[in-house]
Amino acid sequence: MARARSLMSRLAAPLVAAALLSGCASMNDEARDPFEPLNRHIFAVNQAIDVALVRPIASTYREVMPAEIKKAVNNFLNYLKSPVILANDLLQGEWKRAGETTERFFYNTLALGLVDVATHIPFHDEDFGQTLAVWGIAEGPYLVLPLIGPSNPRDGIGIAVDWFIDPVYWISVNNQWDGLIYGRTAARVITARVDTIPATDDLERTSLDYYAAIRDIYRQRRADEIRNRATRPTPRVFFDQYRALIIQEQPQPAVTN
Amino acid sequence: MLDRRLFLASAAAFCLPALSARAAAPEAAKTFVRGLANEAIEVMGNKGSAGPERLAKFRELFKRGFDVDAIGRFVLGRYWRDATEAEQQEYLRLFEDLIVHTYAGRFSEYSGETLTVLDARPEDDRVLLVTSQVNRTAGPPIRLDWRIAEREGGFKIVDVVIEAVSMSVTQRSEFASVIQRGGGKVASLLTALRDKTKNMQTR
Repeated sequence: MARARSLMSRLAAPLVAAALLSGCASMNDEARDPFEPLNRHIFAVNQAIDVALVRPIASTYREVMPAEIKKAVNNFLNYLKSPVILANDLLQGEWKRAGETTERFFYNTLALGLVDVATHIPFHDEDFGQTLAVWGIAEGPYLVLPLIGPSNPRDGIGIAVDWFIDPVYWISVNNQWDGLIYGRTAARVITARVDTIPATDDLERTSLDYYAAIRDIYRQRRADEIRNRATRPTPRVFFDQYRALIIQEQPQPAVTN
Repeated sequence: MLDRRLFLASAAAFCLPALSARAAAPEAAKTFVRGLANEAIEVMGNKGSAGPERLAKFRELFKRGFDVDAIGRFVLGRYWRDATEAEQQEYLRLFEDLIVHTYAGRFSEYSGETLTVLDARPEDDRVLLVTSQVNRTAGPPIRLDWRIAEREGGFKIVDVVIEAVSMSVTQRSEFASVIQRGGGKVASLLTALRDKTKNMQTR
């Protein structure tokens, strides 16, 4: 076995080196960001708005608001999103998850959506961007949308469709409940920002190119959401290049030079 | 017939120890992660000792647990071969500084979280993925996975995956962006790394 392995690695070395070289040619376009100059510009504007407005409010909310209220707000926002989540569960053919969303909705209606009384069924999110991905539609080029932030054509369309199919929105419009529309949007923005403050602070402290780091993290996070957080397959780059570095005991000449 | 039996017997003699070693690896990998995390919390949580002293201990621990050079070279990707030998040396030194400070910063904000090691499974010939979660006092647990390479002398961490975001993959794309914006020169990355590590140290 030991002998077989050393023979294998001797045979594998040129193969790994070849994989390494061929892998390199395709590494160039990894960023998939043809509108980078414009995206960076919008990113900077979004950042300025975040620093001046969103982050301070989110930070204050996080510090000042009692934990019970923060929890109730989150529960209520999740509750209001139930119809959109259910629609996307169904569009993806996720019958079991659709059942979970429905069951949670009925339980939590008893608590007016403010208390999660269905903790035996974990909450899951869905959106139409993920549905398009499940249908096999490519994400397209990276886009930074004004106010919204990191996105791509697929997720941009997803946001618009989710907005359009949301009964809460149409009920609000018909009853002229403007406060509910604006209040919910504001609450969504602030609570989403609250969750990311520690991570973005850490990233700003440690990254060399914050924009590029966010771009890559956005893609990895979305891929995970589309898989419904299922076990992550090893990224393909690992097989192209990583293995050569970490599996070989001795660095191969092709790698070091 | 005799040949065949002999063959099977010798094959078994060769393979059995190897097979049992493979089966033991996931458990050993889990123990490795658990031990390393506990040591890191002990070092960084010990506010009694001075900052620089704590950091030195943390760096030593970090280099023991992580294959910093392999990570650094993976992160630099195709530009590794573009770099001169002197650039490669400086890069690896700066990269070590960067990730030691990155992780030290994360551990210094430690406030009673616990790590539960969940599972370990082989991903490849000598690579394992250990899954774990960080339990917080407020909010849901954070998913934290460790990609570990099996070596002659034990294990080395080669990647950390936080909520499905791989540190190595992210840094790789980030560094490529820095180099491309710097006219494809590795020197531009070194400049950025020098500035960053200097700023991080003054904190």
